[in-house]
Amino acid sequence: MLKLAYQYMRHYKSQTFAIFASIFLTAALMSGIGSLMHSSRKNDVENSRRIYGDWHYCVETGETAETEMFTISGMETSDKRKAAGFRLEQYARAQVVGGLSEPYQIQFLHVDESYRRMLHREITEGREPSGENEIAADNYTLANVGFEGGIGDTLELGGKSYALTGIVKSKWSSGADEMEVFVGEGTGRTKWYLRFDENEKLYKQMEAFQEQYRIPGDAVETNDSLTMYLGGERPDSIADIIKFALTDERGNFTYIILKLQSEYNLAFHGMIALLGVFSLFVVYSVFNISVSKRKAEYAVLQTLGISERAIGGTLVMELWQLFLAGYPLGCLFGNGILKLCYQWLGGVFADKTTGGGKAAVSVTDRIATQGTSMQDAGNPVFQVSWGVILTGFIFLFLALAAAGFLTVRAMRRHTLRETMGGDVSFYKGRRKIYSRRGANLANVAVRKFMFLNKRRAIGIILSLSVGGCIFLCTTYMAENLKVHAEMSLKSDDGLGSEYRISVRSDCLADVIPKSVVDEVKKMPEVSRTYASKYIFGELSVDKKRMEWVDYFDEQNKDSYFAMHYGGICVDKGDGTYGIKYNVYGYDRGMLEELRDFLLEGEIREGEMKKGNKVIAVANVDGQGNYNFYGYHPGDSITVRVPRERNCPPEALRFDGERSDYVEKEFEIAAIVSRPLAKEDNFLCINGWEDAGIQSLIMTNQQMEDNYGIEDYSIINASPVHGADTQRISGQILKAVKDIPKTVFRDYAAAIETQKNYLRQQQLFFTGIAAILLVISLFHIMNSMNYSILARRREYGIIRAMGITDAGFYRMILWTGILYGLLADMALFLIYHLVLRRAMDYYMTHVVQFLHLTSGIPGGVFAAVLVMNVVISAAAVMVPARKIAAGDIAAEIAE
Amino acid sequence: MNILEFSHIEKTYGTKENQVRALCDINLRIKEGEFAAIVGTSGSGKSTLLNLAGGLDTPTKGKILVKGREIDSLTRKELTIFRRRNIGFVFQNYSLMPVLNVYDNVALPVTFDRGRHVSHKYIEELLRELGIWEKRKKYPGELSGGQQQRVAIARALANRPAILLADEPTGNLDSATTVEVIGLLKASCRKYSQTILMVTHNEAIAQTCDRIIRIEDGRIADRNLVRNREKGGDGIC
Repeated sequence: MLKLAYQYMRHYKSQTFAIFASIFLTAALMSGIGSLMHSSRKNDVENSRRIYGDWHYCVETGETAETEMFTISGMETSDKRKAAGFRLEQYARAQVVGGLSEPYQIQFLHVDESYRRMLHREITEGREPSGENEIAADNYTLANVGFEGGIGDTLELGGKSYALTGIVKSKWSSGADEMEVFVGEGTGRTKWYLRFDENEKLYKQMEAFQEQYRIPGDAVETNDSLTMYLGGERPDSIADIIKFALTDERGNFTYIILKLQSEYNLAFHGMIALLGVFSLFVVYSVFNISVSKRKAEYAVLQTLGISERAIGGTLVMELWQLFLAGYPLGCLFGNGILKLCYQWLGGVFADKTTGGGKAAVSVTDRIATQGTSMQDAGNPVFQVSWGVILTGFIFLFLALAAAGFLTVRAMRRHTLRETMGGDVSFYKGRRKIYSRRGANLANVAVRKFMFLNKRRAIGIILSLSVGGCIFLCTTYMAENLKVHAEMSLKSDDGLGSEYRISVRSDCLADVIPKSVVDEVKKMPEVSRTYASKYIFGELSVDKKRMEWVDYFDEQNKDSYFAMHYGGICVDKGDGTYGIKYNVYGYDRGMLEELRDFLLEGEIREGEMKKGNKVIAVANVDGQGNYNFYGYHPGDSITVRVPRERNCPPEALRFDGERSDYVEKEFEIAAIVSRPLAKEDNFLCINGWEDAGIQSLIMTNQQMEDNYGIEDYSIINASPVHGADTQRISGQILKAVKDIPKTVFRDYAAAIETQKNYLRQQQLFFTGIAAILLVISLFHIMNSMNYSILARRREYGIIRAMGITDAGFYRMILWTGILYGLLADMALFLIYHLVLRRAMDYYMTHVVQFLHLTSGIPGGVFAAVLVMNVVISAAAVMVPARKIAAGDIAAEIAE
Repeated sequence: MNILEFSHIEKTYGTKENQVRALCDINLRIKEGEFAAIVGTSGSGKSTLLNLAGGLDTPTKGKILVKGREIDSLTRKELTIFRRRNIGFVFQNYSLMPVLNVYDNVALPVTFDRGRHVSHKYIEELLRELGIWEKRKKYPGELSGGQQQRVAIARALANRPAILLADEPTGNLDSATTVEVIGLLKASCRKYSQTILMVTHNEAIAQTCDRIIRIEDGRIADRNLVRNREKGGDGIC
């Protein structure tokens, strides 16, 4: 069997090569992309470790539990750790010995050496503090508290003097705003940072750990940014997810997709599955064409007494031999190429970067921590995904075996005599005499040949359109990804501008004076200076209008919001809810940029001022649906804000005297999906950054007219092209450093990093689309070649009847053009009726892009359509030349 | 007048050790209006001779004149046009286009030459003459072997060629149909003043022709048997 298979491979060299090439290319693509995604995930894990700390869980205990917790250190042997159901690899201890709320929120920590390693807070300069009045801190904290001295100098904090003994490595993470100083001694509540064995499920180990030490669930904090990749939480079973989606009124298809994505990494597994199916489709199709050329020979073998099973075995052996040679080589090739390119593509699948508003650091901090600057963070390492390679191998190995036997089984449809006779198609078409209608009979014959075997014709047309479909889908996705990323950069990441000056205070009286705004605007090297005003407010919503009743449940449960504001969404007892809202004043430039986020209505500064209209930011649910309590542009809303900016903190609960507040009714001018400038002191804190969506926007002039607010809370600015960003940073820092509680952030590097990642993504997706297109082209050439050569005899007859070479080429060209046009039709229909809808759904509800208006440029679409026709035409001309060069008599005799 | 002349024709296939000499020093003249049969064993070179006569193949050596023109001197395009205007083919396996109905199969070579200007009257006449007018809308797969061969003959005659080359036209037919088909060929030969060169295995059929050309191992073995049409050429088997 093996020998026969080998002989067939040797005899049909070109077809053997085609099958080998299809295996090689698809293996390269599948394993390469699998490894790329795997590497990106691994790098995400390492980045998360670097940014958020190398710990999985944090347990907070009081002093009474401290002695018990110390028994952890006794568990050194792996046997004990395993017996306990967990394997603790490292732990660290930090004691919160005090804190300040003025001028900033600063924690005083006493930590061990392990903490410094796990949370990357090593001393970079100087030494550890030891005495009562010694501290160490990072440059960010020192700069923001206005310390300009060096090690050994005295620093005033909370009315006490401390000697600075060392500089600590700066934080990467969102906690950059939470300032910390380190002291040499003291006691207080203790935080235990735990790192378990990552080869085992983390949530199981933590459950065992909690059971061992009787730790309640609410004392555990999870390093979500790291553990989300490592199984930090027990996932719901797939059966439970589906059951919920089918039985609960909140469940739907989107719920299933989102749950599978979050708990089972659907995107990765889905992509690999799709590539696996695509690979199988291409290999099987090429193989099928190869086999159809020798079906007659297999029928002869059967007449000689060879069983169907033996023929199936021969085919499988042939496929497996090629597979065993092509698959490893393809994997080697794909991984090798991507390993070489990986340093330029490291950010493609990264869902977290070191950029973004969360990770911003101050100018001084950036200078001081050059050794760990943002550019160093993503030093990507390519890792081969053996899992994908092995899974792909098993899948294709078994699938190809099934394909071999199915091919033999398909031969049963015809008798052996029919199969030996070659063409088993019998034509019985319309009884129309085409020559009487003046039709070109050669073209009629060609058209009919095409559809003689409808399944094959549809297969070829679909194959032709597959490459185009993939290319269009990738382009569509890449276009929207680009727009979304740019919008997200502006809104969610707060990276619309390189520089951001804001007030770090939860007191409304802390503002940036107008004079400082004017000063920044006048700086020659600064452009696009947008200043925003801010006030905290409460929106009144009729209870009957509240469609998403449980929308604020989680936020209401947050103890910070409960303590400070009496909750986010509060039943006022008069038939309304009072919902805490950010009220912003934007200037003209920001309002213009906000147009990209428009969902309903119109944004016109003049009309907003004239009619005292506001823009509302819609709430968004977990499935990307937007809603603003059923209000639409033209409707009126009622908003209350504290009358005095210097109001007591209790005023923000909005339960004081009516006279303490200014209550106004506004008409809604427009509804948008996101705000641009976001505060980070009131609602956008404690991990509720998305709460910035609870925003109402008016013009700065309206803020003054309605509430008498003249000063600003946020300034965004950008450098002019080619300006020295370091110098501008210095100038701005100098301008704002005397304003109390003002923080300056330099996002220039973060924006550059983000844009670089975006460019990589665009490049990668275009590259993958091109590779898929090449594989499709290879497949198309093979299919078309076969479809033409299969009619060699008939074309021989036509040539014998006297068609000239030019006429023959025209006839074949017409076949190609016809295939191309039909493929274009299929492409158009499949793309618009199926793929685009599916992608729109995916982008709206699963990845939740901010907009979907960026279609494929008409030129690209037209180019794909034209390319289909050109490729088809070119693909048929190759075998046409072969036929034309051949001997007519021999062709007829075939 | 000779309509077809072969001078010192040689035809070799393959190279070196795989070389096969199909025809060797063939010298042959066919007169206008003659109905000649080429007979010989399998592999003797009969079909090769026919293919060379029709310009479907080219000789390795020698010269072929059709209607006084040396076909080797013609360009591919000229040869194609010359062939469709002057030579009609009838193959053993009919070689009809399975996707065209009877009428369109017959009209096919005419459309190559005259585009839309097909003489439908002539095609109808042909189909009626050959007794397949009623079948004009049928597809080849729906016809018997004899009917398919009639269609093939009609197609070969559609361009009113001077020469009809038939390669075992009755090879796949039963004896009754064979008689019919040969009768039709003879009738058309007479009616349209055509020259017919027919390859056949069937000695009895060959005996009914004006002349028998016997080929053995690529050489003409016997060419002295010439029957006079007037002396009983119509009698078959």
